[in-house]
Amino acid sequence: MKIDVRILLFLIAATVPAAALTAEAVSNTTSGSLASVESFASIGDQQTRSAAYFTELGKVLTHPRCLNCHPAGDRPRQGDTARLHQPPVFRGVDGFGLPALRCPICHQAANFGAVPGNPIWHLAPREMAWEGKTLGQICTQIKDPAQNGGRSLETLVEHIGEDHLVGWAWAPGPGREPAPGTQKQAGALVAAWVQTGAACPKP
Amino acid sequence: MDDRLRVISRRELLRAGAAGGIALTLTRLAAAEAPAFTARETLPGRQGMNPAATAAGRIDGVAKVTGAKLYASDFRAADMPGWPSQTSHALLLRVADATHVYAGLDLSRLSGALKPAATLTADDLARIGTRVPEFYAGDLFCPVGKTPLYLGQPIALLIFEDFDAFDQARLALREQAFAKFGEETGPVEAPNYAAFRFTRLGGPTPEAADIYSPVKNGWVSPGKFQRTKPNTETPIWSRLPITTGAAYAEAADIGAKIRAELASDDPSLLVLERQFDTQSVDPMFLEPESGLAWYDSSGKTLALVVGVQSPYEAAESVAFLLGEADTKFRPAHIDMNFAYCGGGFGGRDHTPFPLYLALAAMVFPDRPVRLANNRFDQFQSGIKRHAFNIRTRIGVDRATGKIVGFAADHALDGGGLANFSASVATVAANAALGAYYAPKSDVTTFSFHSRGVTAGSMRCYGTVQTMTALEVMVDEICAALPLDPIEFRRRNALQAGWRTMAGNPYIASVRTPEILDKLEQHPIWRDRAQEKARAPSGILFGAGVACAAKDYGTGADCSLGSVQIDADGKVAIHCDAVEIGNGVGTAVANRVATCLGGVADQVAVAQVGVFGPLGLVTSFDPYTISQEKQDAEARNPRWVPAISSATSASIGAHIGTHAAAEAARVIFRFGLWPAALELWGLAPTDFKALDWEKARWKDGHLVLSGLAPLPLAAVAEKAHAQNGVVAAMAHGFNRWSWSHATFGIAGEPWTADIDALAVRRAGGEFVCLDRSYVKFPPTEFNRIGTSYSSLCGTAVHVEIERTTGALRIAKAYSVLECGQALAPEIVRGQAQGGFAMGVGYALLESLPLYEDGPGNGKWNLGQYLVARGSDLPLHDLEIEILPPLDANERPKGIAEVVMIPVVPALLNAIFDATGRRFRSLPVTQAMLKEAALGAPQ
Amino acid sequence: MTSLTVTINGRVHGPHDARDDLTMNDFLREYLGMTGAKFGCGAAQCLSCAIIIDNPDGTSYTSPTCIVPATSFDGKSIRTVEGHAKDGELTPLQKAFIDHFAFQCGYCTAGFLNEGQVLLERLATTPIARADLEKTIAEALDGHLCRCTGYVKYHEAVRDVILADPSRYLQSS
Repeated sequence: MKIDVRILLFLIAATVPAAALTAEAVSNTTSGSLASVESFASIGDQQTRSAAYFTELGKVLTHPRCLNCHPAGDRPRQGDTARLHQPPVFRGVDGFGLPALRCPICHQAANFGAVPGNPIWHLAPREMAWEGKTLGQICTQIKDPAQNGGRSLETLVEHIGEDHLVGWAWAPGPGREPAPGTQKQAGALVAAWVQTGAACPKP
Repeated sequence: MDDRLRVISRRELLRAGAAGGIALTLTRLAAAEAPAFTARETLPGRQGMNPAATAAGRIDGVAKVTGAKLYASDFRAADMPGWPSQTSHALLLRVADATHVYAGLDLSRLSGALKPAATLTADDLARIGTRVPEFYAGDLFCPVGKTPLYLGQPIALLIFEDFDAFDQARLALREQAFAKFGEETGPVEAPNYAAFRFTRLGGPTPEAADIYSPVKNGWVSPGKFQRTKPNTETPIWSRLPITTGAAYAEAADIGAKIRAELASDDPSLLVLERQFDTQSVDPMFLEPESGLAWYDSSGKTLALVVGVQSPYEAAESVAFLLGEADTKFRPAHIDMNFAYCGGGFGGRDHTPFPLYLALAAMVFPDRPVRLANNRFDQFQSGIKRHAFNIRTRIGVDRATGKIVGFAADHALDGGGLANFSASVATVAANAALGAYYAPKSDVTTFSFHSRGVTAGSMRCYGTVQTMTALEVMVDEICAALPLDPIEFRRRNALQAGWRTMAGNPYIASVRTPEILDKLEQHPIWRDRAQEKARAPSGILFGAGVACAAKDYGTGADCSLGSVQIDADGKVAIHCDAVEIGNGVGTAVANRVATCLGGVADQVAVAQVGVFGPLGLVTSFDPYTISQEKQDAEARNPRWVPAISSATSASIGAHIGTHAAAEAARVIFRFGLWPAALELWGLAPTDFKALDWEKARWKDGHLVLSGLAPLPLAAVAEKAHAQNGVVAAMAHGFNRWSWSHATFGIAGEPWTADIDALAVRRAGGEFVCLDRSYVKFPPTEFNRIGTSYSSLCGTAVHVEIERTTGALRIAKAYSVLECGQALAPEIVRGQAQGGFAMGVGYALLESLPLYEDGPGNGKWNLGQYLVARGSDLPLHDLEIEILPPLDANERPKGIAEVVMIPVVPALLNAIFDATGRRFRSLPVTQAMLKEAALGAPQ
Repeated sequence: MTSLTVTINGRVHGPHDARDDLTMNDFLREYLGMTGAKFGCGAAQCLSCAIIIDNPDGTSYTSPTCIVPATSFDGKSIRTVEGHAKDGELTPLQKAFIDHFAFQCGYCTAGFLNEGQVLLERLATTPIARADLEKTIAEALDGHLCRCTGYVKYHEAVRDVILADPSRYLQSS
């Protein structure tokens, strides 16, 4: 088996103990908000700072609004308690469900009453599953084009910072807690993380 | 048994209704425009295809696959001929807080067009002068200044003129706190609902007279209570050194002695004591409660369309509610229309919903109003199954494997209103020994008020709780002795003639040994060791078995039936039983067809208003009336102990079809048989004329050996031409035994298991016949408890994935006996449905009792899981129905018993797979995962 | 308010002015008086409210009506339980539901009927292998809740309609 040594080295180097980077920057934020990029300025070491950005972003990625549709299996979760989706629906061949219960039938172009909506409501591909993974593992995975839908780091900034479906996480309608902060803040954290070398927290 | 010991007298309701000057009409006259409500609800209808005619489907089959308007929720004012066409809509607001003082409504969100057209609160009720039927005692609306009695208690009824305003108003209130609250008081303290002790000391043999028992010595309740924690009083079960309460003291002494024997260090005994806890669940019938009502002030008539299991009770309760109201709010007539129910499972038996519906119409006169629960409302307000805490102690003689003593203590959370809590406690306690015999038993039961949603009647009525606790313990006892689980059950099975826990001899055929044989021989049980050995790695395999005996009936069941046959041989039936999915319409048609040769093409169920010709009257409560009073009242030939009762307690086949079957027998004997004799050219004096009981219907022809078969239509035509009896209506009453009476028909005495009879000859009117003799079941039967039951056994295979705890029911088998199955496919369907509900109860369904539970108004499916197809062994669920003992064995009720053994069989299989005995329900995947990880490799 | 015109069982209804927050279930039941599509949960959990949507390309799918806006049906063509039988002649699936005693209270029947019918039509254009039949039926029906029956007879009814005409619904083996 051929291993890309450069990537391997990069990953090893980029792994910073998670405890070290929770940092002062994060300590003042509440569960519903995100620390700004500026608030990480006190972390001198770039790699540590980079990993700290990702840890902060992790509040979004591991929030039920995101995690529910990045499940480990073929069945999404739902609600703030991340219970298995009812009725039982499965990803199907295209991530839009089996023939009998396709996602967009219920999840229409916009939220309607208590039912969330978006024009392209669907499951993240299996290789982008985050459920049950540590933040470090998610970080590693999210950088790997084979596991992130072939995205470069730059397009990741766009995906998280501007994508309409991702943006739903901050406007989920009644009865659901929005993802922390704003999509713009999350996008800024991704950008800062990429700019600082995209270091990952310790798995 | 369902000794639904009603604490109150339902009779009072009728008297009060009459005192209020309200005449009850229980069906509406068909108006000129088509189709009238009754026409829609009479199935399949004369022109309709009748699948039941060839046993190829249900009476209601075509209506249900074509989306016909059938259920209460289908009707709007425009569907009711003669009503104003526009429907207004009512919104019932309920609280999600029962620990703070209610300080009033905040409807500031409803301005402009969203302002309600009418509002009803507790203050208004006081002004109107309504009365709450005692069964529903408690404020219908929480008054300002009081802490709500329970979560989900209504505070206001808002009425909106049209759907748009209603729809927008409910959206506006969805996310808003519309109720204001003041200081914290904690939950409201209220009296408990029941405390009973059932103690029995048997004689030297199981058949011998008891030394002490509830039947022999009377039922007892403890007289004293103690405060165990704030807002909670529990009974003092031990004997107190006080001079009063001697009856209780005797039971307490005997009970204490039984318990002491089970606590001694007798090495010859195996004694186990275990706690078992069950959860609250919702019946989750698929059609939320709903109804339509219209008060026509010019005619002073209140008309309602509802779907309930207890139509007669609903009518009485509405009449009582308004019976002494201010003139403006007191109808002179109440016209009740009862629809098909989208499921019931007990949850529509004695529901307060019709009271709120009636109020909505009365405060918004001359405009039809619809009140309909959505699913959140239904979870918040619908009747629940009781959560139980059960402590059981069983002693078994190690040498014989026989139970020598049984003691148990039950505590039931009854929620906010009493409802059926007292009788559920009683029924559950008397089922605690399941299908078994013990020479000594002592069971206490206590049901109490809480701020939870009201619990009441639900399929199995407390017995799935106590029998699950029992059957799981039996499995443990068998492992401890050790003794084969089937053999243990065989040795301890209650036999006919033996005494039950209440102390009465068991009168039914007891087919426990046959059920056990079937379970033992079935491959699921027989081959379990081989199956286990074959289980792939990573899969924990388990097999489990259990059985249950469940009575059917309530101890005061009524049957009203009316049958007619026209000159073409077409049969029409009316009965008071309600169609809740149980197939009673089809069952009654089939049972009548055995007498009259043709399956009815007009069956109207939930009819309580067409029996006027019987002129029935009643008095007193059938559960508490004395023998002396019953004997005195019975002299009035129109008197019966009760007129109509709920469709509940698995009585569809046994009770619901009874009166119609008896009416059909009268038509046959005094209408069709004389006609047949004439067609055969036989004189009434011919010796063959006595053979009417030997005649049989075959393929639409009347057959008697040696004579030419006669087509039904010819016989019917002749019966009409002869002016024979072509219609009959009858009433029956059952208190663990049928009433029995003699009538004179065509100069001959006719004796049958009925107590009222009217007949109609061709072209005439119904004539009510006076009974020349009547015997009602003795009133002492009111405390006999279970005296007959039907049986069901279940065996299952489960496979549990070790790493995830995911459980798959690989195979299952249920075997049951139900006497004569009137519609075998419907029986099979009930058993499959009972299996599914058992799976849900064992593994999926659970409602927190208080603030986090359904009373908070936030519960719906999704959070509350019921079994889906993927949870069930759809292709590996085998149902076996034992054939009746003989052709004349009457039908037995099975709709409850089929659910019970499923639950303990699953728990026993889970133990077999994981080595873990779960003693609380439900057993979730997370719990299984933890158990599976700890299971031996 | 949005203008809404929808074809139901072949008949055009509308244009109606519909509120944007009105559900299709309420539109059918409260405004058109068509109560064949039931209301069970209001949360797309039980699917007793499901109807069939016919695409212009000839394909069809079921949709719950309780959680989707009525206005999203503008221009669409749908079928409800009331529209299956033609001139009183029941469809094979309706007959099979009756023959198999598939339902009890019947409140979930419309949803199962619509789902089963769409499955039959899908298999008629895209037959499957016999070995996949039970799984395919199970997947199709699993969203529908029934509290009375235990589902067995519904599944048997759908399967029997398919097996009665294997050349139509199944790949030739």
